[in-house]
Amino acid sequence: MSIQSDTIVDIQGLNKWFGALHVLKNVDLAVASGTRVVVCGPSGSGKSTLIRCINGLETYQQGTLRLAGTMLGLSARETAAARRQTGMVFQSFNLFPHLTVLSNCTLALRRVAGRSRAEAEDIAMAHLEKVRIPEKAQSYPGQLSGGQQQRVAIARALCLNPRIMLFDEPTSALDPEMIKEVLDVMVTLARDGMTMVCVTHEMGFAREVAGQVVFMDGGCILDSASSRDFFGSAGHPRSRLFLEKILKH
Amino acid sequence: MGFDLAFALSSVPTILGAVGTTLFVALVSCIGAAATGFLFEMVRRVGGIAGLLIGFVIDFIRSTPVLAWLYFLYFVLPFYGIRLGSMTVGVMGLSLYYSGYLAEVFKAGIDAIPRGQSEAARALSLSRRDAVIHVIAPQMLRNIAAPLGNYFVSILKATPYLAVLAVPEMLGQAFDIASETYRYTEPLVVAGIIFLVLALAISHGVKRLEQRLLAVGAR
Repeated sequence: MSIQSDTIVDIQGLNKWFGALHVLKNVDLAVASGTRVVVCGPSGSGKSTLIRCINGLETYQQGTLRLAGTMLGLSARETAAARRQTGMVFQSFNLFPHLTVLSNCTLALRRVAGRSRAEAEDIAMAHLEKVRIPEKAQSYPGQLSGGQQQRVAIARALCLNPRIMLFDEPTSALDPEMIKEVLDVMVTLARDGMTMVCVTHEMGFAREVAGQVVFMDGGCILDSASSRDFFGSAGHPRSRLFLEKILKH
Repeated sequence: MGFDLAFALSSVPTILGAVGTTLFVALVSCIGAAATGFLFEMVRRVGGIAGLLIGFVIDFIRSTPVLAWLYFLYFVLPFYGIRLGSMTVGVMGLSLYYSGYLAEVFKAGIDAIPRGQSEAARALSLSRRDAVIHVIAPQMLRNIAAPLGNYFVSILKATPYLAVLAVPEMLGQAFDIASETYRYTEPLVVAGIIFLVLALAISHGVKRLEQRLLAVGAR
């Protein structure tokens, strides 16, 4: 497939080392606007590092990473400007514990987007409605369940109106019964056409929304296929083995 | 030589008259030490040559006596044309001396904040300044309310050092009465009691502040 002008993430030959540890090896990945990419693989495979490179939370040593047309890592100012096109959701939620749910959502709107308090609160409430938790606007994160916190984190990331959402194992820290409420929100987001890169082992979610599934192991992308091919019979032997293991139980 | 209550009471107005000076010195020094210490810690965190240098300055300050700082500022600087009033020197000396300790307290308070907090701030495109003001500092304060309060009490109790610069603070005033009357017990006891009351008040205030900070968000 050729790189089109609406490619929002374009990664070519990406290499990253943590000291002597080679964590990303010649990674190529293109994400077109309006598509969903699920990244899976065993722990330590580099998938979290990869997604953290996309918004510049991690630097890389070799290759190119273009985000919304900006080459990351060249200038701090340009990297910061490109990062504004992204929203990120973490495994451990990372809500600000000293701020209410509403203030968690309005902080960047006010400080980064320069909105007034009233505007920011309107926008934040709209997104809290979208993740079905407007009644908790005045609560503090510590008073919410994990699933609720993660939904607030999604709303917070959506507030800056990102062009792409990055999810780094958003359900891995959740109790099983809370995973569904978070995945439901993510499915709704996908149906609304949000561009998403999602590191997850939720294969049901991948099957439902992903256009492309990427399988990583040892810092390499071993398999990259449409979800139909990935879950069908055409996949790479290593990803077949991985799928068999996690789908068995 | 017993305790003469009437004499003790008669010394109270003079000693109490110096409470204002003591509190003023303590308050300004607390603010100065906290501001300087926080600045030191921020520069140290950024690292580089400035960070290393500040790290050395912090260690140097903490390894020298506070009296040495006061003497140095008051008696040595004038040789280089810098002549400061005794009150200014006193406040500067205490601020600088305790800034070294408070930098360490701030460091511990920031280190205790999970890494994900500053990552979330970055992911939300908050500037470094906004991240410090709105994300890091409030959580740091919650982590360090107790030790910070201890140092504020320490600063209060260090104000008598300023007697060597003839700043009319409380203990110095009590001692002046003692020297004039050759009765040491009563004025020193009176000054001691007032220090005790002030220190307890600060501790109590800090404890209440800590409870309020911890109640927010109730982790």
